[in-house]
Amino acid sequence: MVQINFSLREVNCKIVYYGPGLSGKTTNLEIIHAKAPKGSTGDLTSIATEGDRTLFFDFLPLDLGQVAGMKTRFQIYTVPGQVYYNSTRKLVLQGSDGIVFVADSKRGKMPENLESLENLLENLKEYGLDLNQVSLVLQYNKRDLPDVYTIDEMNAALNKWGVPHCEAVARDGHGVFPTLKKLAGMVLESLNRQHTGAPAAATPVKAREQKVPVQVGAVGAAGAQAASPRATQTIRVGAGAQGARPQAGRGVAASAAPAISVKPMPINSARGTHAAAMGGPVPQPQRARKGRGILVGLILLAVAGAGAYLWFSGLLKDLL
Amino acid sequence: MVTDSEHLREARLVFYQEDVDRINAVLNDFLKLSDSKCNILIDKEGHMVTKAGTTGDINLQSVAALVAGSYAATREMARLLGEEEFSVLFHQGKKDSIQLTLVGDRTLLATVFDERTTIGMVRLYAKEASDKLAKIFKDILSRPPRPNSGLGDDFSKSAKGALDFFFVDE
Repeated sequence: MVQINFSLREVNCKIVYYGPGLSGKTTNLEIIHAKAPKGSTGDLTSIATEGDRTLFFDFLPLDLGQVAGMKTRFQIYTVPGQVYYNSTRKLVLQGSDGIVFVADSKRGKMPENLESLENLLENLKEYGLDLNQVSLVLQYNKRDLPDVYTIDEMNAALNKWGVPHCEAVARDGHGVFPTLKKLAGMVLESLNRQHTGAPAAATPVKAREQKVPVQVGAVGAAGAQAASPRATQTIRVGAGAQGARPQAGRGVAASAAPAISVKPMPINSARGTHAAAMGGPVPQPQRARKGRGILVGLILLAVAGAGAYLWFSGLLKDLL
Repeated sequence: MVTDSEHLREARLVFYQEDVDRINAVLNDFLKLSDSKCNILIDKEGHMVTKAGTTGDINLQSVAALVAGSYAATREMARLLGEEEFSVLFHQGKKDSIQLTLVGDRTLLATVFDERTTIGMVRLYAKEASDKLAKIFKDILSRPPRPNSGLGDDFSKSAKGALDFFFVDE
């Protein structure tokens, strides 16, 4: 969590880059380290394996400069993306103020993205946090690859909350700064809101109530097989590329893909469950049901009344 | 019921000048008594709170992050062994060594020392310093929150300007 130190006149925030293995988290940090104004970053520290895979974390201190007389710093971390390292990933996530979720746009990688996102939510929950307390920005990385999901497909699968997303080619530096800028702004805005009593600039993230769960286009069959074993629902979408739009200026060509199946996260599986999990409003249909009951009762009463009237008038006629 | 805002405010560490003065007094006493080189107080998220002694060209931000990471990993190890946490960690080098002492629930004290003193002396006085610091933190946490933490009203506007300046559009 943010540390405000009036003795040093410093504000320190923690940002974590999360996402599946090889999605480009460390590359983001390397680009920030290389391209940030001189003197604004410290050393990039990596605790990595011999093969340059992140073992514990990468760490980069970033000095934004003076904000209202306070030296504002971001401590930026990455987590190891490989499933095996969940315990260390959870440790790095502790106390984070903002998270960039780096998703791999390459077709067939959606199950890994979904599994990692689910893991993020689980780990946050273990710290008693949800997305109302921690800022989140999604980065759709590797947009330069020839066979990628469309942005609509990425959003449908990963962005249930309508949080900001950025397209990126981290390897070339595209989209790296806009992502960080967006998240840094959200973290500082949240800090401002908490400490100066300023009104919220935007509504906190609330889970969107979805009648029809995720629509995911064109995930490779192999990827679908590798989907999380905790998944509970299968959605089939035909000709996922029909709605695809080529990414102008990025050289991305969307290709036709066969009908596929994908297993989304269980949080999407039941209406209302997701909202409850995210601290959002849970739909309450009781009132509507009660109203319908009263209406039906009145109609029955009217019918019974009419019947009684007819019977009584018929009886009177017979008597007279 | 604790709201999100209250939760965040409780989770956030705010140090005012008077708090840091009290902490510095304890750290300076500990520095003299233990004859250590420097003492760095770090929160569990890896942010430095304050320091005492000669830090030379040590990259304090990286050290703080690594200390927090190292402590977090060790605590997980402790948990696997059925312990709540290990309250003291010690890393020995050829010249310099470092001892990490848990202070209260939220901070760690990193003590760098060399052959001028001994691990026994450092450990003895670290316990005393840790207790004094824990009391200060208890005071900090038990005091009612100030209506305005001291961040300027123009913080949001200033932050936006700083971000625009720093992150020049591609």
